[in-house]
Amino acid sequence: MDLIHPRTLADVAEALGEASSHGRRVLAVGGRRHIDKGNPSEVDAELWTTQLDQVVAYDPAEMLVVVQAGMRCGTLAELLAEHKQEWPADAPPDATVGGVIASASSSPRRLRVGALRDTVVEMELVTGDGRIVHSGARTVKNVTGYDLHRLATGSLGTLGVITQVALKVRPLPERTLTLTTPGDLSLASTIAAEVPLVAGALAAPDAVEVRLEGWADEVDELAVLVSRLAPDAEPRDDGAPFPVEPWWTWPEEGTIVEAALAPSKLGPTLAGIDRYSALAAVGLAWVAASTEAELAAIRSRVEAAGGIAPAIRGPGGLGAATPAGTEVHRRLRTSFDPAGILAPGRAWTNA
Amino acid sequence: MADVDAARRELEAVLGPGAVLADALALRLYARDASMVEGGCALVALPTTTEQVQVCVRIAAAHGLPIVPRGSGTGLAGGATPMGDSLVVVTARMTRVVEVRPEDRLAWVEPGVPNLDLANHLRPGGFTFAPDPSSQQTSSIGGNVSTNAGGPHCLAYGVTSAHVLALDVVMPDGSLEQFGAEGPEAPGYDLRGVVVGSEGTLGIVTRVCVRIVPIPPAVRTMLFGFDTVEACAATVTSIIARGVVPAAVEMMDQGIVRAVERFAHAGYPVEAAAVLLVEVDGTEAGVAAETREVEAAAAENEVSSVLVAADDAERALLWKGRKSAFGAIAQIAPHYHLHDCVVPRTKLVEVMRGVYAIAERHGLVVTNVFHAGDGNLHPLFSFDRSVPGTLERVLRASDEVVRLCVDAGGALSGEHGIGLEKRDFMPLVFSATDLDAQACVRGSFDPDGRMNPQKVLPDGARCGEFALAAAGSGDAAADAADLPESSWI
Repeated sequence: MDLIHPRTLADVAEALGEASSHGRRVLAVGGRRHIDKGNPSEVDAELWTTQLDQVVAYDPAEMLVVVQAGMRCGTLAELLAEHKQEWPADAPPDATVGGVIASASSSPRRLRVGALRDTVVEMELVTGDGRIVHSGARTVKNVTGYDLHRLATGSLGTLGVITQVALKVRPLPERTLTLTTPGDLSLASTIAAEVPLVAGALAAPDAVEVRLEGWADEVDELAVLVSRLAPDAEPRDDGAPFPVEPWWTWPEEGTIVEAALAPSKLGPTLAGIDRYSALAAVGLAWVAASTEAELAAIRSRVEAAGGIAPAIRGPGGLGAATPAGTEVHRRLRTSFDPAGILAPGRAWTNA
Repeated sequence: MADVDAARRELEAVLGPGAVLADALALRLYARDASMVEGGCALVALPTTTEQVQVCVRIAAAHGLPIVPRGSGTGLAGGATPMGDSLVVVTARMTRVVEVRPEDRLAWVEPGVPNLDLANHLRPGGFTFAPDPSSQQTSSIGGNVSTNAGGPHCLAYGVTSAHVLALDVVMPDGSLEQFGAEGPEAPGYDLRGVVVGSEGTLGIVTRVCVRIVPIPPAVRTMLFGFDTVEACAATVTSIIARGVVPAAVEMMDQGIVRAVERFAHAGYPVEAAAVLLVEVDGTEAGVAAETREVEAAAAENEVSSVLVAADDAERALLWKGRKSAFGAIAQIAPHYHLHDCVVPRTKLVEVMRGVYAIAERHGLVVTNVFHAGDGNLHPLFSFDRSVPGTLERVLRASDEVVRLCVDAGGALSGEHGIGLEKRDFMPLVFSATDLDAQACVRGSFDPDGRMNPQKVLPDGARCGEFALAAAGSGDAAADAADLPESSWI
């Protein structure tokens, strides 16, 4: 396995151009935290984005930050925190911005902060054959042409290598509070439905974590509402992460899938499963499978409910769900990676 | 050459005679949208079902007619203005709210449902559809999807794209696909995300799965008057520096305020150089905290008047002022040309000054009303086109406004789209490589160039791979290149 470790955008373009002309297959790699998401793919080289880690522009008054894709999420979080702002990725600190975006990772606070894909407003992408392409703009709102950055978000590095992005950021809340209570998904769903502006209601089989954030008085007001629905709810120390145990801290065994399905189908789909964290009213669930048989069982349930269950850690690939628009996918691949060198087989279509 | 008569007969056989229009009046009516560009069309179809839309697309393809999708026709960039021998497919008769599922925070709706009708439909259940363009009484969900519409409340809630979970799309070959999912993520590339905002160039949306959001329990609406435009804009920056992202932050200059006040009698301060309409929402305590911060931000910028809505009626009146702005300016002159561009928030004052200077240079009346929180400007030139030479001056001034915004680091459009009006400005913000890549995206959906030709991308943007593949494979693409130029009305 060869290593390509570019220092500049031009290096990336040159490396991919060469790889295309020689038919060398390349996998773009950031912090490796989301690298397991994708179907198995044989490549000849890894292209590490980690030296492309600079802040390009940051004006807190614009609530936008422009960074290179190899920047670590933890570094970005520290920079933004100096100005009381955040990019709500909630990813491991050593994950890269590019990796989070290429894998369309989601924040457990999605109910309040929205989908991460909606924070990407501008992108610089190097196509498989080394062309440098820009889309979007450094403005919070923009309808100017086709949003290539939306296609690249979640493309698992198969349409190009993301080298730079402009991200919408938000003010850090004045106060955050995580409450834990015995309970299940139905309690979490009730809390999500009844407590306005709750940032997250996360259910394990026998416990619920509720995340509140906002102005100090607001958090107090919401905590009262939560305690009415869950009298046993106990506040964790301020500053406790949410989730208290995110998926990347789970034991290193088997596979973790990130299931996505209509929120009301979470309950029936997860019934009887031992280890999961499910976001009520969002429809995301991180589910642990120790064996291939368990993984297959989880997948068949999720897919029967119209959802998807890609592995995000461990073996298993993306699962059987196939995307709509097969021809569109194929043509996009041909356009953006004409030599087919970007992690062939890794994307949803096996394109 | 397209066989229009044959296409009409076949369409009538499936849709019924009342759903196919070919008389001179109808063709003239559908020859434009709410922009200033007028084109022409050969046929208009008004389907009521997805299957009928598929039939329209197939018949158009068989007879070499380009297709122009259209919702309510309130678009301001010419995206629904047809050109030459095209078939306009109007989705305005597809008006069912198919289902509302609060437990999944979604609703399936047909594209012809007017934006405000959907919000009204959802309100009794405690939900709303967040995008609220000023045209919301008329503009349809399908049109909102196609322009990735915004509106005042997109500052906190995000634009249409953040509120569309899935789409049923009739593809340019007549097949039906569903992009996106009822859940938070879908398999594959985000084709949903690229169809939203694609201005009817990738297919025809026949059903939309929208995300519905709970209406927050508390809301407060405030109107601040300032003696200078600078102080007004500085307040926006101060609000954000205090960690507040209000639900809406709308700015109006004196010209707009005076026009609005004569019309709406909303109590706007007509002596102020500019006003700021700010709305915060959330919980009681959250709204109290944000109100405190917003008022402090206004005070530190020497606010000259403060009006806080005491109840829903007063709140509605303050919003009536803002939302009737484009109607109210008819008092100034019979015609207007409304711009839409986005600049970095911190450049608002500089750009506004530039807009005033451009208007003065061309002897035009300009007023400004915009989504200040988003940096989304809407300079509005009022004029009387019966005065010879006026339209030309407006167009020259408009050209300068676009360049001014781009020079300030902005984008060509914040929420109206590119359509025909701004198509030729695209090279100002994108390189030839960027535009070719965009042409590839378009070609991936529509290799034969059937959908809404001549929109969005300037001449010359080509996808190398697909230009070859598409050559000789469809009449529509070839015919489109021969279409007559549109005319400015």
